[in-house]
Amino acid sequence: MESTFNLNKFLKAMHKRKALIIFVTLAFVVFAAVASYTIMKPVYKATTQILVNQNTVSSQDVNSLDINTNLQLIGTYNVIIKSPAILTTVIEELKLDETAQSLTERITVTNIESSQVVTLSVEDSSMNQAVILANTIAKVFQEEIQQMMKVDNVSILATAEMTASPKPIRPDPIFNMAIGAIVGLVFGVGITLILDQLNTTVRSEEDIEEMPGLQVLGIVSPVDSNLKMEKPLNLSDRLEKDNYADSEQDKKINATKIGGSY
Amino acid sequence: MRTANKTKRLMPRKLVVRTNPHSIAAEQYRTIRTNINFSIPDLTSKIILFTSASKEEGKSTTAANMAIVFAETGKRVLLIDADMRRPTLFRTFQLVNNTGLSNLLLGKGNLKHSVKASGIPNLDLLMSGQIPPNPAELLESDILDELMGEMRELYDYVLVDSPPILSVTDAKILANRCDGTVLVVNTGKSEKVSVEKARDSLATAKAFILGVVLNNYPLTSENYYYHNYND
Repeated sequence: MESTFNLNKFLKAMHKRKALIIFVTLAFVVFAAVASYTIMKPVYKATTQILVNQNTVSSQDVNSLDINTNLQLIGTYNVIIKSPAILTTVIEELKLDETAQSLTERITVTNIESSQVVTLSVEDSSMNQAVILANTIAKVFQEEIQQMMKVDNVSILATAEMTASPKPIRPDPIFNMAIGAIVGLVFGVGITLILDQLNTTVRSEEDIEEMPGLQVLGIVSPVDSNLKMEKPLNLSDRLEKDNYADSEQDKKINATKIGGSY
Repeated sequence: MRTANKTKRLMPRKLVVRTNPHSIAAEQYRTIRTNINFSIPDLTSKIILFTSASKEEGKSTTAANMAIVFAETGKRVLLIDADMRRPTLFRTFQLVNNTGLSNLLLGKGNLKHSVKASGIPNLDLLMSGQIPPNPAELLESDILDELMGEMRELYDYVLVDSPPILSVTDAKILANRCDGTVLVVNTGKSEKVSVEKARDSLATAKAFILGVVLNNYPLTSENYYYHNYND
């Protein structure tokens, strides 16, 4: 068994089984679509923005020292927002039926390119709930931070808004179907390759030429059974007759026919 | 169509060369004829064996059609059914298998009287004869050599149809004595391993392998070249 990779053979095999490959690919796409639209629960995301800045009334000019201090603070704040200290208060306030731990997992806090703006996002299976959560967390954080750090440098820049027809961030059916198509294609090609490897019959002239000591003298294609005879044959209508000398009885019958064949 | 009978019966062989001389298959048989002529040593008469690795690959059909295309060239051709276990030639040509090769090998009768006319110019047939209990031993006898000598005098081409080479030893014995052997392979059905075993088996018998005929080869676009060529 030589298993040298032959591109031409590979492509031929693919071409022969293209129906299978297409079918498997489509099956995966359909599966991805069904899963996206029915099985997976949609997840919504609400975002608020918090500005971290010293509200100094005295000095109007912003000096870089302040900004730097604030930037260092942001790192700390990011952790604080997700801390149980804040979240237990939120859970109590909203009478949620979950732990601070599970709520933490649904929160992402980022600040873009060391700006002083912190983005707080909350994911939830209901958009409404996500909005309420995001806003409550921002509010509680703003209140708590004053007590914790003895500063009042957090202001809410943008509250989360409930839109008329919110779009879920997950699942993304188009993306899922694209992934499904790729996986299906790989799968189909894989099946084809395996089937091709499993088929150990002679299927082409190359298969014979690969065997040392053998050459192909020629090929004979199957005769189309609908082929009309080009000339009438008295043989042909006799093909249907039982003319076999299989049994003793047949032999007796045929024995009388000797010489009468033509 | 014939319905299935209690006993297993083979379909009558399709002599496509005869029924449709201009069909693609007929042209393919003629191509094989040319290639055989190129690859066989230049002898005054040629004895060619047709065999396959296992049963039902199309030996007999190929041999019969090849016999007809050789006869087309005006050469004297004899087609022998050397499958004394499952003879088929008499069915193909709608004749009776009352006497033939086995009888000759037992020293009964002579070649000239045993051959039958095929109804095709230049083509004679020799049936397998009564089914003997010991085909292999019969073929080992010296009488076969004498017979072959006689055939060489009477015919330009002798085509021999034989049992599968991997099943019984008959084909090996014949392959050793014939001028060339053609291995018939059923495309998409024959295992590569079997074909290689058949090749090795023939090599053991010191046979001269002319090559392989790929039977039931799916028609590809290249084959359509033959279409309309004669029209």
